[in-house]
Amino acid sequence: MLKKRMTILTILLLVASVSVFSNGAKESNGAESKDKGSLVFYAGLQEDHASMIAEEFEAETGIKTDFVRMSSGEILARLKAEKNNMSASVWYGGPVDGIVAASEEGIIENYISPEAVNIKEGFKHPKGIWTGIYIGYLGFVGNQKILDEKGLTMPQSWADFLDPKYNQEIVVAHPGSSGTAYTMLATLVQMMGEDEAMEYFKKFSPQVRQYTKSGTAPGRMCGMGEATVGITFLHDAIKYKKEGYKDIVISAPLEGTGYEIGGVALLKNSPDQDNGKIFIDWVLTKRVQEMGKTVGSFQFLTNKNANPPEEAMPIKDTKLIDYDFQWAGENKKRLVQRFSEETSTVAPKK
Amino acid sequence: MGTTSNTRRLKLKSEFKTLLNLKNDPALLSVILFTLVLVTFFILIPLYNIILESLSDGESFSLKNFRDVFIMHGNMQILINTIVLGVVTSTISVFIGFIFAYVITYMKVRFKRFFNFIAILPMISPPFVVALSAILLFGRVGLITRGLFGIKDAEIYGFHGLVLVQTLSFFPIAFMMLVALLQRIDPSVEEASRDLGASRFKVFTSVTVPLMVPGLANAFLLVFIQSIADFANPVVIGGNFGTVSVKIYQEGIGNYQFGIATALAMILLTISISIFVIQKYYVSQKSYVTVTGKISRNRDLISSKKITTIATIVLMLITIFVIMMYILIPIGSFVKLWGINYTPTLEHYRYIFKPKLLQPILTTTILAAIATPVSGVLAMIIAFLIVRKKFFGKNFIEFTTIMALAIPGTIIGLGYVISYNKFYQIGGVTIIPPLTGTAFIIIMAFIIRSLPVGIRSGITSLQQIDPSIEEAACVLGASTRKVFTSITIPMIKNAFLNGLIFTFARSMTLVSTVIFLISAKYKLLTTSIMAQIDVGRMGVASAYCTMLIIIVSITMLLITYFVKNMNMNQER
Repeated sequence: MLKKRMTILTILLLVASVSVFSNGAKESNGAESKDKGSLVFYAGLQEDHASMIAEEFEAETGIKTDFVRMSSGEILARLKAEKNNMSASVWYGGPVDGIVAASEEGIIENYISPEAVNIKEGFKHPKGIWTGIYIGYLGFVGNQKILDEKGLTMPQSWADFLDPKYNQEIVVAHPGSSGTAYTMLATLVQMMGEDEAMEYFKKFSPQVRQYTKSGTAPGRMCGMGEATVGITFLHDAIKYKKEGYKDIVISAPLEGTGYEIGGVALLKNSPDQDNGKIFIDWVLTKRVQEMGKTVGSFQFLTNKNANPPEEAMPIKDTKLIDYDFQWAGENKKRLVQRFSEETSTVAPKK
Repeated sequence: MGTTSNTRRLKLKSEFKTLLNLKNDPALLSVILFTLVLVTFFILIPLYNIILESLSDGESFSLKNFRDVFIMHGNMQILINTIVLGVVTSTISVFIGFIFAYVITYMKVRFKRFFNFIAILPMISPPFVVALSAILLFGRVGLITRGLFGIKDAEIYGFHGLVLVQTLSFFPIAFMMLVALLQRIDPSVEEASRDLGASRFKVFTSVTVPLMVPGLANAFLLVFIQSIADFANPVVIGGNFGTVSVKIYQEGIGNYQFGIATALAMILLTISISIFVIQKYYVSQKSYVTVTGKISRNRDLISSKKITTIATIVLMLITIFVIMMYILIPIGSFVKLWGINYTPTLEHYRYIFKPKLLQPILTTTILAAIATPVSGVLAMIIAFLIVRKKFFGKNFIEFTTIMALAIPGTIIGLGYVISYNKFYQIGGVTIIPPLTGTAFIIIMAFIIRSLPVGIRSGITSLQQIDPSIEEAACVLGASTRKVFTSITIPMIKNAFLNGLIFTFARSMTLVSTVIFLISAKYKLLTTSIMAQIDVGRMGVASAYCTMLIIIVSITMLLITYFVKNMNMNQER
């Protein structure tokens, strides 16, 4: 009796699994018949955006396109592990410092797209390690309701954060775990000089209520009212507001701020390299860059001719510093270590 | 000197002899071989590659990573944090699990089935959900802290919040293990001491509790290991309280420092293994056999009103708490945006019922359903082998299976990719093709991650059952297979059931292990939920979670039905 039941169960499972597996197989067969091949990319930007791009690209070119979305660090870890047998051909989205680190591991195939002539100066790597697709500004996020309740105003400058009235009201990610927060650290060091920046953080740190792990968490926590003010990429904050967190307000630092460049890169020894190149050329175009805003990506764009999203217009005049990515990447380990020591932020405070 | 080497030689000789004897029992031999292959390929080889990574300095062998770990600012504090958290969480979890298990098996209370369900409910939802609920309830703008009590500056992030959510997530494991054990204690042992004049309390402290020692120790071990390797809860609610598993993620994924991350993982593994060794040494000192046959009769349940009322109230309080944590999920899936806009809506369900977004649900369910029977049966077989059989490689199997639980998910997942993203060839013939991107490797991850709990619960139950029953069957000519299927399995039915349920629930909710194993073709539910939370779509995430809870609950009922009926048919 037991055997019989087990057999029935096993058969059911087999049938179910066969249907799932064959489904996948059928799809790839269909693509082959069109003879355009296929493409897999690793997406370092948000799921909706990646999914829309995959669908549009497939519809326009007939190339069967799939993606896996991961954080930048996860993509790098996975690529390192997959080095000898690559399954993805393109790294699409996510800050370029991840791509630079991958390039040092010999994972990136330099590629200068013909479309790169239309990309603004400074937002593409001269040797084609990466080409920029969007620019995100670092800035401040707050919750208007909580600010009103506490009788506070939205901070407008880095200096404002040292004001005692924001004591224990600030949420920011830790530079040791978040690229966003490292951008903040590197920005201030580049603006003030290293020693002065460390002095700043020494005063800043006791004001912080929580160092989060993820760079997007401060925006989400402000949206939910868990935090009063935070530091994050402004397009993330705009995105949360669009999702319905209506009390979110943003501001950009008067002294100037740093930014991230989201990039696209071709992977070395990967399958379907030609399709990968077609994909890269395609995503760099004005039209495709402008599609981002339809799925909630509110970054500024790198294509000279592309119009930035409506939602980002209030911050378009933000003063940007001349952010040195090369320097920031090379000094990361040392700066994070010094930051942690000077502010003693790893240990719990209570 | 001469004698020690002599005894060693004798020991080796006897091990060799047992190995030879296996020839006569092909079923046993093949199972042992299969298990050895399984643990070698899916625990040891990935682990070996991770150790290699931690001991490498880019090019050559070095201990630099380990040195860096201890030099780096704040790491000692993080290690201490992790251990303190593990001890506190496991103590509380085992305590709560024990209360539930004891009341359900020993007392005449109402709503037993309901309490039983509540005690495993936390297991069937993704871990980070509890943490999110805790924030929504007890955070700064929490429904209870601010809404009910008007506290404006409540703080849930940190040690206390973490203990709360971890206890809630892990006490079901302790419960499952202890309830299976309590049900196997022969009432006659306790009644004997009652008849000799001992009070209920005296029986409890001098008979029941001592008999529970292996179970309590095993439950503590399992919760402890999971608590210190837990990533999802600390990352959501840990706040400024750092733990090792989060640090591993930060170093490996955030800072691209794989050497340091793997070195930290090795340190974590060492802690877990030490606890395991202590536990094993301590428990193996004594015999805990109580069941020497079929339980003669039903237990006289404690029916004294005074005791049962108190017990019911205590359980009710915990139950209300658990329900409160979980009711937010379905509610959150039917409103526009939790905490902001409470307009009822079905839009989140409409969103996830698009074919492309529904796919992860189907894939996860099917893969988990394949892993469940394999892992459930295998766990019982391995437990049976470990407790009952002498064979070559026994300690090895017991040891490695527990290691599978102690390595943080991210690291073991990475180990899988490093190990199985290449061709293994012997003489130009491919032995193993690359496994990454296949459903197979995901199923293996499911099995390996849930196997240890099944094995521990099987071992605990078996340690209580007198081997003489099985020996009797053996003497009467039954093969090992026959003994196992018609004697052992029915006797440890509850442990078997728990193993199955745990595997399914765990597979459905596994997060960090599978991050590197999902592929364009096989996307899993938990990663979709994480992505939705990240962009702030709590409603969609809640809708996914609700679906998940429904699927696991239905499967749980089905499994229970199958296993219960299986036993009835056997008795007939």
